[in-house]
Parts: sequence; C-alpha cells; structure tokens
Amino acid sequence: MSALVEGKTLSKWYGQVVALNNVTFTIGQGVVGLLGPNGAGKSTLMKLITGQLRPSQGEITVFGERIWNNFPLFHRMGFCPEQDSFYERMTGAEFLSALLHMHPFGDAEVAKRVDSALETVNLSSVRDKKIAAYSKGMRQRIKLAQAIAHDPDVMVLDEPLAGMDPVGRRDIIQLVRQWGKEGKCVVVSSHILHEVEAMTSTILLMHNGKVLAEGDVHQIRDLIDRHPHSIRIRCSRPRKLAEALVGFPDVESIHFDPEGDALTAESRKPDEFYGRLPELMLDNDIELEEITSPDDNLQAVFHYLVK
Amino acid sequence: MPIHDQSYQHWQGDWTSHPYRWWVISRYGISLLAKKRGFLVFLFLALIPFLARCVILYGAVVMNRIAFITIDGPFFESFLSQQLFFTFILAIYAGAGAIANDLKANALQIYFSRAITRRDYLIGKLGVVVFFLSLTTLLPGLLLFLVAAIFHSDLEFLRQYSWVVLSILGYSLLIIAANALVILALSSMSRSSRFAGIFFAAVVFFSQILYGILSALLHTSAVAWISLTDDLRQIGDVLFRSPLTYQASPWASAAVLAILLAGSVWIIHARVKAVEVIK
Amino acid sequence: MADSDGVAKGWRNLKTIANLTLDTLFWSKKTLFVGLLSLIVLALAGVGRAVLVLNLVPTALPASQVFGTLMSTAVMRFLVVFVTLFYGTALVSEEVEGKTLTYLFMRPIPKPTIMLGKYVALVWIGSIMVLPVVMASYLILYVGADMRPFFQDLNVLCRDIGIIFLALLAYGSFFSLLGAWLKHSILIGLAYAFGWEGIVAVLPGFTRKLTITHYLQSIFPHQDTLGALSMLVGDRTDPLESIVTLVLMIVLFVATASLIVREKEYVLEQ
Repeated sequence: MSALVEGKTLSKWYGQVVALNNVTFTIGQGVVGLLGPNGAGKSTLMKLITGQLRPSQGEITVFGERIWNNFPLFHRMGFCPEQDSFYERMTGAEFLSALLHMHPFGDAEVAKRVDSALETVNLSSVRDKKIAAYSKGMRQRIKLAQAIAHDPDVMVLDEPLAGMDPVGRRDIIQLVRQWGKEGKCVVVSSHILHEVEAMTSTILLMHNGKVLAEGDVHQIRDLIDRHPHSIRIRCSRPRKLAEALVGFPDVESIHFDPEGDALTAESRKPDEFYGRLPELMLDNDIELEEITSPDDNLQAVFHYLVK
Repeated sequence: MPIHDQSYQHWQGDWTSHPYRWWVISRYGISLLAKKRGFLVFLFLALIPFLARCVILYGAVVMNRIAFITIDGPFFESFLSQQLFFTFILAIYAGAGAIANDLKANALQIYFSRAITRRDYLIGKLGVVVFFLSLTTLLPGLLLFLVAAIFHSDLEFLRQYSWVVLSILGYSLLIIAANALVILALSSMSRSSRFAGIFFAAVVFFSQILYGILSALLHTSAVAWISLTDDLRQIGDVLFRSPLTYQASPWASAAVLAILLAGSVWIIHARVKAVEVIK
Repeated sequence: MADSDGVAKGWRNLKTIANLTLDTLFWSKKTLFVGLLSLIVLALAGVGRAVLVLNLVPTALPASQVFGTLMSTAVMRFLVVFVTLFYGTALVSEEVEGKTLTYLFMRPIPKPTIMLGKYVALVWIGSIMVLPVVMASYLILYVGADMRPFFQDLNVLCRDIGIIFLALLAYGSFFSLLGAWLKHSILIGLAYAFGWEGIVAVLPGFTRKLTITHYLQSIFPHQDTLGALSMLVGDRTDPLESIVTLVLMIVLFVATASLIVREKEYVLEQ
C-alpha cells in the first residue's frame, strides 16, 4: 500500500502549547479513524494534512509532495471542517457551485457535480433553500457535499457525524465505507467509538499530541500485553468450568455474572485459552451457549492506551 | 457526627440580593479588558493630558510662571473636551463587542437562563463601558479640580469655583452616557463588533463633516447641533459658564443628545432578547 | 498556449473570488447603512442647490465651489475612507471570524489570487457606493435652465471621478493590507484615517508624505475650504509624482497583502 499522506517527525506548537509532538505516520488508501480525547491533537493534525497550518518541525506530504501552499494538490483533496460556518445567504446549490467554480471545471460540469453531490448527501429537495434555514443535520451534509463534490482522492473529515440523526449517521457511515472500498483515502475523526468501528478497523490513536497506536484495532489489542484478554462464556455449568480453568497458569481471574449463567475469565494467552476450551467442555460435560470477547474492540483499546 | 453526609445539600448561606447581579457581568467584562496589554497602554496614554494639566496647574498656581493661563471653569471644560478623542477610542474598544459578541455566540439564551433579568444584563454591559470612560473623564476631571484646590494656598479658589465640581460631574456623565449608550446600541444591532465600531466612527466623524459642509454652505455655525461632538461641547460651554463656541442654540444640542440617547436605549431594549423568532 | 491558458484560468479564478466576495460583503444589511451615508451626501448637494436657487444666504457659494467642497470633504475625506475601511478590513477578517476561510484555502487557487480577487471586489463595491454619488451630486448642483456651467465643468467632474477612483484603489489597498495582517484592523484603520492623516497631513516637513491623503490632495483640483490649513503650511507634491507614488503604493500594499495571506497561518477559533 503506497502512502498517500505521510507525516515525519511532525510537531506543531502555538507559543508555549505543544499541539503535536514528534508524530510520524503513514496513511494509504482506505478509511482511517483518527481517535483521541479532546485536546489530543486530532484537529491540528487534520489542519496540517490539509495545509491550513504549517508544521513547526518535521514534514507533512500528500501524494509525495509538501502540502503547505501547494494549491494544485487541493484539487485532489477534500476537507469537511468541524466548524459550523457557511456563507449563510447562499442556497445549498449556490454554495457548492461557487466552490466548484474554483476548480478547473466548466459550467456544465459544475452543474452536473452540484446535482450529484446534493443527491449523494440527500439534499436535492432543499437545494434552493438558503443555508441559514437549514437544520443542523442539513448543514452537516452540505459541508460534506462541498468536500466530495470535486471527487477528491483524499478526504479529511473532521467529526462528519456531529449533529446528525441516526438515519443520517448510518447513511454517512455507509458512504465512508463505500469511498474506502473505491480506493480513496478517507481520514475520519470522531469521538463516538462504535461509529468509527462501523466505518473502519484501521485507526490512528492520539493522546496529548502523540500517536499512541496505529493500525488495525484487533492487532493493537493483541499487542497490549499488559492487559489480559477478557473472555465471557455462557454455558450450562459455569462453576464446573471455572473449577477446570482455575488450575491453568495463564488464567488470571474468573468472575461470575450475577445471573449465574456465565463467567468472564481473564487470560494472558488467549490463543492457548481458546485451544483448550473445547476439550475442557467435553471432559466436564458442559454445554456451551455463547462465547464473546468484551474487550476486543476499540473502546477497550482506547481505554487501555489512554487511561 | 463522625461520618459526614456526602449527598446533595441545599445552600445554607446568604442569598445575595437581586440589585447587585449586574455587577457580576460588569466585573467580568472589566477584568477581561484589564488583562489586555494594548488596552492598558492606551488607557495610560489617555491619562497623559491629565498629567500635563497637573504640571500646568503647578506652573500657573504654585510657581506663578504661566501668567496667560487662568484656572477657571473653561480650564476644566477644555480638559474634558480634549478627552473626547480618547473616550471615542475607548468606547469602541470596550463597547463595540459588548453585545455583538454575545449575539454572535448565541450567548443571550445562556445569560437569560440564569437568574438575571434583561435589565441586569444591560446594566452590566453598560457598567463595563462606563467604568473605563469614567477613568478618562470623571475621575481625572475631579482629581484635577482637587489638585487645583490643593495647589491654591487659600480657600478663595474653592469659594469661587466650587460649582465647577458639579459641572465636571454633569459634563463627564453626559460624555460617558452619549458614548456608552450609542456604542451599545450599535453593538446590539449586529453580530459583528467591527460593524459597531466603524458605524460609531461614522456617527461621530460624519456628523462633524456634515456640520463643516453645512456651515460653509449656510455661512453660520447655528447648524452645529448636527455634530455629536459639537453638541457635547455646546452643553459643556453652558455647564462651565463659558461663552458659546457656536451660534447653535444649546437647547437644540440638548434636544439632539436627548433624542440620540433615547433612541439608543430604545434600540438596545428592542434588540436584546433571550429568544429570536425566525419567521 | 499554456501561458494563455494559465492567464485565462487565473482571470477566471479572480472573477469567481470577486463574485463570491461581492455576494457576501455587498448584499448584506450593512450595505444599507453605507448607502444611507451616501444619500446624506446627496442631500447635502440638494441643500447646496437650494441655497443657490432660493438665495438663502447673501453670499452663497457657487455650484463649482459647493461641488468642490462636497468632493474634497464629504466624499474624499469621509465616504471613500469609510467605505474602503469598512469593506477593506473585512475582506479577510470577516472570513476568519466567520470561519469560512477554510473553504477558500482548500481550493486549487493560489492564495495571492484569492487576495487579489477580494481586492477587485472591494474596488468594485467602492465604485458602486461612491462614484454614482459624485455624478448625482454634479447633476443636482448643475442641471438647470442654463446648462453652460454643466458642460464647462464636465472636465472637472471627469477628473474628480478619476481621482476618487484612484483614492478608492489607494485606501482600499491599504485597508486590505491591514485587514489581512492585523487582528484589530478597524481600530488601527480608524486611528490612521482620522488620527494620523488628520494631524500629520497638516504638519510641515516630510511627515506629510507618509500619508495617502497628501498625494491625493496634491492632484485634487478643488480649493478645499476645510483643508485650507494644509495649504498654508506646505507645498503640494508635483501631480505626476503624486500619481506615480500612489500607483506604487497600491502595488506595494496589494503585493504585501497577498504575501501575508500566502504565508500567514490563520487560526480559526473553535
């Protein structure tokens, strides 16, 4: 996978405040979730990627070229900013048209792209309504429309789901996944972890201006050795199973659910644990009903790395 | 008891009385501006004429070296009139964004969801502008009189010019009210502090230019009531018992100022609302 | 061929930015207030005409002098300065405050072109707000039974329009630079226009040459009754030199503003 966006020892500070601290990363085709608590440096990183800010130190390249003041690259990039700001007097169609005319498209092409973008974000019915009269969800969608209307190869979306209703969120998530499958590079930031999980399993996790983890969320989870994996088993005889498990050295703890029909075991060697489980069940005549891993997800990774 | 109750407890202390809630807004606004170095530098510059006048007073009264300067009513009036430029800039600095920034941030709903009334809010905002304008007019004006009284070795000055204190009070309050209310009215008319600042400048300077042109056309200064600053000066002349600078009637100037102030209050009252209904 | 394509593209981008700026700046309620000021200037022309026609004063100023006074004070010293200050400082700062600058900077257009396009819109707006006032004032003061003065002084009108347009370009470029560069551009612009220029322009010596108004007054044909003081204390600069200096100022200010927009990081407050 070739890198479309690359940051090398990237730092950014505002006076005494260090927003990004020696960050190195690569982002290729597909969807990447940019995660982190408030103040982690996500917005700063996005602004550096989109050339809104200049690095204090290090380098940021897009398509192999430095992005700062490199205006031809912006034809291949789209940015959906977090702030809810528009030219309020304009209608949705006028807004898109005005911005598309700044790209190398003729009038006919601009008109076609305006229609297409509005159709994509489901705003065709309100194209001639002033943005000032749009609802929060509509405003978010028109913001997304201006980012995608020129069919960019790299899209940077800062909190694209903010203010949207559940149906709108679902539609945007599906769009983002679709763009990823089409080979576009989509960088999405969000606070809502399960929605990022719905869009991608590739994350860039940030905290205090540093990248804590980068890559597939499951692989990251596997690498977090210091935290044992939790495995929840619902079966016919949980206490009998606990008696069988407790003798193994990799099993750190066993907790029973209040209902008494399941147990949660913590193991440092999940592969071995899963390997021995079928034999234990058969030997002890236990019926397995359900097996899940509650912490093989983004929430757990976030929690373990950030806290 | 050994183990204290950690659950929610109602406030057992004193409730502050309602008339002082506006002070919270004023205090916050004053402390915000007082942190700005540029603003403080300008405030200091605005006090230089006061210091210069103190030196003149010393030279004229104590040293008896400046014979052509008479320390009388017009002396104090000219000081306050000189401060008009500084009050203009300070009014823009302190007042242009006072309400405009709250409108831009949709903060009025937040203010009025608290236990404050619209009157508390407006008096609070006015308090910020009045405070700083007082620092350049009322306070140095009164101090200047005090310095003059101290420098005079006898009570004759006080006997002769005690009325000047009321004139300083009246003229200063008029300058403060005119600047503060107009800038707040303009601030309430837009979400942009830039708009308020520049239109305040338009009101002040354009009215002066209007007067200049009309006086050239009509060969008379009786139209001085058109200019806001000249209206203030006319009233100042009356308050300090000076010969009138312009042929315009002081009543005309007073009427213009009264209409301006009333209009400003009406605009502020109409524009500052907790909720806007968009049709 | 590539060069002409580039020029055509550049011109198209400039036009697009200018149209967008015109749409956002001009078509707003604030323009009504500016328009009101322009109407007051016209009303002054009406008063001047009324004074002449109705013999309201024994020694009334002739139409040419009334026109000259209006142009040199109300138009040149106020309206031009006010319009360019108001719109010029807003070109970039309104986009920053409104957080819409991101949309422009994410387009494949050089930032200097964005600045230039906005400047073009400013000159356009200024011309719409000011030049019709000049022409209408002339009509109000001169149109009558005897049309000879109207035609005799037409060259003065044309020259005034040219100089006022140059004033729009000069002040517009300066205030655009302030708006692109400084945070409190309005205060500094006011201090310059009504403080520095008001005081320094009448002082003797070199300092007068550090103002835009000095060069404009040097080429303005009218005897300004209100600005007579400046005539008493110093020479005017040669007209050709004044025009060249003004043009150089315009180029310098616009170029500097473009450079600032290109290199400055505009941090939009969250």
